[in-house]
Amino acid sequence: MAHVRLNGLSKSYGKVDVIKDVSLDIEDGEFVVLIGPSGCGKSTLLRMIAGLESISAGTLEIGGAAMNDVPPRDRGISMVFQSYALYPHMSSADNMSFSLRLAGEEEAQRRSKVDRAADILGLGPYLDRLPRQLSGGQRQRVAMGRAIVRKPEVFLFDEPLSNLDAKLRVKMRAELKELHQKLRTTTIYVTHDQVEAMTLADRIVVLRDGEIEQIGTPLELYDNPANAFVGAFLGSPTMNLLELEVGAGEATLARFADGEALRLATPAAPGRTTVGIRPEAFTIASEAAAGRISAEVVVVEPTGAATELLVRKGGQAITVLTPERLAVRPGDTVWLTPDAQRTRVFAGGAADAA
Amino acid sequence: MTHATDTHTALTAPRRRRFTASERQVSVIRHLVLMSFALVVLFPFFWIVSAAFKTQIDLLMGKVLFTPNLDGFLDVIFDKTSDFARNFANSMVIGLISTFLVLVIATLAAFSLYRLQWPAWVLHSLLGWSVIFHMVPPITLAGAWFTMFRSVGLDNSYTGIILAHTTLHLPMALWMMGVFVRDVPKELVEAAQIDGAKVPQILWHVVLPIVRPGLAATGILTFIFSWNEFPVVLVLSQRQTATVPLGIGKYAQENTIAFTEMAAASTLSILPAFLLLLFAQRFIVRGLTSGAVK
Repeated sequence: MAHVRLNGLSKSYGKVDVIKDVSLDIEDGEFVVLIGPSGCGKSTLLRMIAGLESISAGTLEIGGAAMNDVPPRDRGISMVFQSYALYPHMSSADNMSFSLRLAGEEEAQRRSKVDRAADILGLGPYLDRLPRQLSGGQRQRVAMGRAIVRKPEVFLFDEPLSNLDAKLRVKMRAELKELHQKLRTTTIYVTHDQVEAMTLADRIVVLRDGEIEQIGTPLELYDNPANAFVGAFLGSPTMNLLELEVGAGEATLARFADGEALRLATPAAPGRTTVGIRPEAFTIASEAAAGRISAEVVVVEPTGAATELLVRKGGQAITVLTPERLAVRPGDTVWLTPDAQRTRVFAGGAADAA
Repeated sequence: MTHATDTHTALTAPRRRRFTASERQVSVIRHLVLMSFALVVLFPFFWIVSAAFKTQIDLLMGKVLFTPNLDGFLDVIFDKTSDFARNFANSMVIGLISTFLVLVIATLAAFSLYRLQWPAWVLHSLLGWSVIFHMVPPITLAGAWFTMFRSVGLDNSYTGIILAHTTLHLPMALWMMGVFVRDVPKELVEAAQIDGAKVPQILWHVVLPIVRPGLAATGILTFIFSWNEFPVVLVLSQRQTATVPLGIGKYAQENTIAFTEMAAASTLSILPAFLLLLFAQRFIVRGLTSGAVK
C-alpha cells in the first residue's frame, strides 16, 4: 500500500494540453474518484499514473518513489480496463495468474493466490472457462481478480462498470466498495457517472479540460460546490442554476423576473447573479404564505420513492424533488419554500456549467 | 409453456411460405450464376486431371470417353529420367523454409510497426516501400539476383532461392499480418505491460496466440506462392535445385510435348496446397478475439 503524489502533472500532444498542472495527494488506503465530462482528461491522467502515457511535465510519486520514467510493470499498480482486456486465449485462472507466472512464481503458490482471489470474488466455478464463455459481470470480476492477485500498492480503475447493464452496475458497485473495505488498497477510479463517484469515493476530484475544478469528500462537494460546474455535475436530478437579480441594499435577496425573491445564505453583489439550489432544498405547499414563492407545474414525475416536479417560475425552469406523493397536475400553481441555508451564489455564472 | 411454443411456431411457420415467385426466380438465377462461376474455375482442373489419366494418343485425338491408365503418373514418379520426385522435395524444402522465415519476419515487423509507437513516417514509408516492392514484377529482379548470388556463390543453391522467395513474399505477408496484429486490442498489450510482461513476452504470450489464425492464413498463402513461383527459380536454379513448376515445364521440350506426363505432374503438384487448405481450414476462422474486450 502506498500514497500517490501528483505534483504539477501535465500532458500535451504537440500544442494541445490535455492535462494542465494537476497536483493531488492521495493518502494510503484512500479511494479517490476522478470524475468529469468526456474529454476532460480523467482517463489520460489515470493512464499517466499507470505509465501507459508519458508525463510531459511534473512529477509522479507512488509510495514516496519517483515514477515518471518507471515502466508500468515496476510501478506496483494494477489496472482494470473499461473493456476488461482479458486475454481471450487464457482461462479465467490463467488470466488472473499471468502476472505471477511472469514473475516466476511456483505453480502451487500461483494456484493458492488465484483461489483466494476467486473466493473473494465468487469466481470459483468459472476458473477453467475462457473469457468468451463468461457473462459481462463475470468478465468484470475476472478483470478485478487479475488486479487483486498481484497485491498491488495501487488499484487503477478506468470506468470499469460502464459496459454493464444498469442492474449489474449497481451490484458490482457495492461489491467494489466491499472489496475496498476488505483490502484497503489505495484506489484511483475514473468514471463519468456521478452516482458511482458519490457512492464509492472517500474523496472526489472533479476535472474539466485537464484541470482540477474541486477536490473534496462527496458530501462536501455536494453541499458546497466551488462553482456552477461542480454543482451541476454532481447530484441527480441536477442542481438548479437560477439567473436572478440582486438589488442594491438587499444583498441577501435574489429576485426572479416577476419580482418574487429567494433568500440567500450569503450576501451577493448587486446585479445579475447565478444562484444554485438543490431540487430537494424546497418544501412544497398548496397555499401562499410569507417566504413562499409561486410557480406553475409543468411536469410531474412520480418515481415511487419521491416525486420530481418540473415547475416554471419567472421564465426559468426549476426542478423540485420531494418525498411526498403530490396530487398536483400540470398547470396547477404550487408554492415553494426554498431553504435559504442551501443556496449557493456562483460568481462565475452558470455559463460554464456542464 | 405450450402456449408459448404455439405462438412461436405460429410466428415462424408463415415465414417459410412467404417466398414469392419473383424471389424464387432471383434465387434460381443466383444459383445458376454461381454454378457457372464454379464451372469456369473447376473445368480446367477437371481437364488437367482427366488428361493425366489418358494416353498421349487419347489426349491428342480429343477423346472424351477413355480407359483411364496410370502410365503418366508412373512415368513421372518412377522413370529413371524423371526428376519429379527431386523437384517435389526441393519445392517442399524451399517452400517450408521460406514460409517460416517470412512468417517470423512479417510478424515481428507487423507487431513492431503497429504496436511499438513508431513515428508515423517510419510506418508509412516502410509499408509504402513494401507495396512498391510487391508491385515490381519478380522477373525484373531475377536477373540482378542471379548476378549477385553468382558472385557470392549462392547461385543454384537452396539458400539463394529461399532468400529470393522470402524477399518476394514478405511484403504481402507483412500487410496481412499487419491487419491481424492491428486486430489485437491495444488494451490487451497494455494489460500485459501492467501485468509485468516485457515486449518479447507480450509478443509470445499475448499477441501470437491471438493471431494464430492469421499466421495460418498467411503461412498457407506464402507457401502456395512459393510453390507456384516460376520465373525466379527458372533463373536461379539448375537441375539439382529445380522446383515443381520447372519440373512441369520441362515436359515441354523442343521436339515433343509430353502432355500426359505434364498433366500427371500438374495433378500431383496440386496435392500439397489442397491438403494444406483441407487441414488448416479451421484455423482460417476469425473470431478468436471475441470475449477479449467489451
